[in-house]
Amino acid sequence: MSVAGRRDLLAAVLDVLIPAEAGFPAAGAIVLDHVLSRAAASTELDALLAGVLRAVAEAARGGDFSALAVDEREAVLREVERAHPDAFDALVGHTYAGYYSRPDVVTRLGLTPGPVHPRGHRIAPAELPDLTRVTSRGPLYRRA
Amino acid sequence: MVDSGDVLIVGAGASGAAVAWRLASAGIGVLCLEQGDWVDARSYPHWQADWELHRAANWSPEPNVRRLAQDYPINDTGSPIAPLMYNAVGGSTIHWSAHFPRFRPSDFRVRSLDDVADDWPIDYATLEPYFDLNDRMMGVAGVVGDPAYPPKSPRQTPPIPLDTLGATIARGFDRLGWHWWPSDSAILTRDYDGRRACINCGPCDLGCPTGAKASTDVTYWPKALALGARLETRARVREITLGPDGLADGVLYHDRDGRLRERKARAVVLAANGIGTPRLLLNSRSSRFPHGLGNREGLVGRHLMFHPYAMVRGEFAEPLGGHRGPIGCAIVGQEFYETDRSRGFVRGYSFQVARGLSPISSANGGLNGDRVPWGRGHRHAYDQRFDRTLTVAIIGEDLPEAHNRVDLDPELADAHGIPAPRVTYTLSENSRRMLAHGVDRAREVLEAAGARAVAVNPLLRAGGWHLMGTARMGTDPRRSVIDPEGRCHDVPNLYVVDGSVMPTCGGVNPTSTIQAVALYIADGMIRRRA
Repeated sequence: MSVAGRRDLLAAVLDVLIPAEAGFPAAGAIVLDHVLSRAAASTELDALLAGVLRAVAEAARGGDFSALAVDEREAVLREVERAHPDAFDALVGHTYAGYYSRPDVVTRLGLTPGPVHPRGHRIAPAELPDLTRVTSRGPLYRRA
Repeated sequence: MVDSGDVLIVGAGASGAAVAWRLASAGIGVLCLEQGDWVDARSYPHWQADWELHRAANWSPEPNVRRLAQDYPINDTGSPIAPLMYNAVGGSTIHWSAHFPRFRPSDFRVRSLDDVADDWPIDYATLEPYFDLNDRMMGVAGVVGDPAYPPKSPRQTPPIPLDTLGATIARGFDRLGWHWWPSDSAILTRDYDGRRACINCGPCDLGCPTGAKASTDVTYWPKALALGARLETRARVREITLGPDGLADGVLYHDRDGRLRERKARAVVLAANGIGTPRLLLNSRSSRFPHGLGNREGLVGRHLMFHPYAMVRGEFAEPLGGHRGPIGCAIVGQEFYETDRSRGFVRGYSFQVARGLSPISSANGGLNGDRVPWGRGHRHAYDQRFDRTLTVAIIGEDLPEAHNRVDLDPELADAHGIPAPRVTYTLSENSRRMLAHGVDRAREVLEAAGARAVAVNPLLRAGGWHLMGTARMGTDPRRSVIDPEGRCHDVPNLYVVDGSVMPTCGGVNPTSTIQAVALYIADGMIRRRA
């Protein structure tokens, strides 16, 4: 599979894993480089990814995966997931990690993207709930 | 180079730091060798936009995943629980969640009270002043009055705020009439002792750039160094050496350039955790101790205890704000802590209520590991989970069993060629029943709090935070490795001060107790020197 062909197929697979829904973008265009960079840094992951993409191409039965209908693409991936559960799971995990670390996605979740330090979070001060019920039971430990 | 420090400590984590400070404060010369390095507060992932990606990579708590230069590999294929640790100044307190309960009085008397395992040779009352001293050194957020414990001294700062998440689950405990209490946390909520208060950024498990979390690199070590203690980093100890009198006389270690060096000492203190310490003892073979130092009875490495964890995650209809505040600290529940044989098991467990999941963890299931489904509908499923979950962890007391052990792997070695540890562990039937009981009760409390769905992980694999029991303390040299003063029965100037010494492990996080025991042993060293 050519480099360009690998990128195109992976992007199409990622679009099925996380499709565009409810104003959130699909994963293909925005997570592709993340997954490829992780694979480039790990021969183990690279081999798993290559295996998944090969299996997807085979399961598409020589057809163009990206040209299939959505139902068919999902069916292909479920077939690959059953046949290669560990490799497929690794791909899903890295896809989710790449997607939910994106500032634009984090913003849509209602959070402020970027470093959590030194910004931190403000927690409104509140009184402790009444602990009388707990203390009224008396000592709960055994004396030893 | 041959040098002669007074006391040589191996490991700069929770217990090693406490002992270094205590001995230095008594004017005793101390040198600590630590295989890791100082962690620069600017190097924590929190400063980066992609901070959460580091949790599964270079900031993983699993050394086998992290694979940093200062780590050593562990063969854990024979264990359903993976050991976790961090190798640095501060040790595993760098990445701990700082949940800081003490053992309870009964935890030291399980043979007398429940006819299982062994009593400790020391008790709660003996350790109480050391708990208090350690609390002052670490800085504890909390509130006194918890009826699950004998009265405690005032906490250093007010408790970690419960926020929406904590208040939600507290209602569940209240509806069931069960015990709960705001956690004792070694995290400052106000400035204390030159350290700044927590800013509630969240991922304490990736370290604390604020210094509010009590990792010992910001608590004990600055004080110990100011008192004259010395600390050499990137120094990996290969073996403990013996003099002609059979006493420990120092160590062989690899310095940061990999060169093999020798250090002489009047006494050696092991503080390398419940896996590193037996590994070092077993690697210290000689004609006098052909099976490893202190291992005349074959007990070194045996009786490994982990605290098996089950995780029960509840999903709620309303946002809980779980991404705000210290990740591991909200509430502790100890309704089922003491033995009640009608439950089908002996001893008991705690609930630890942790905060919610951050964006990536929400997708990948956090410690439950159940990923949000992919494909159409992913968005809806994710939105049902994100910011709407809280997790109740069940921390079970693990009883010591000789077949659960650390030994040396016949093939695996670290970067210096030192044989690596191998962990063999089987979850006991008692633990299985205990966790199953805990899962059912956690489900109950979540539903009482209003959870609309519950997900269960019956045994957390990446949950070996607590490494205990592998050089157990006792009065009988045939049944223990060290004596009640922390001295090796076979080599009386060799001390062990980490979680290895625990004959039993209670049903709570052990660091507070490990450090109290370490301070107690250090005071014994000081008394004998006097």
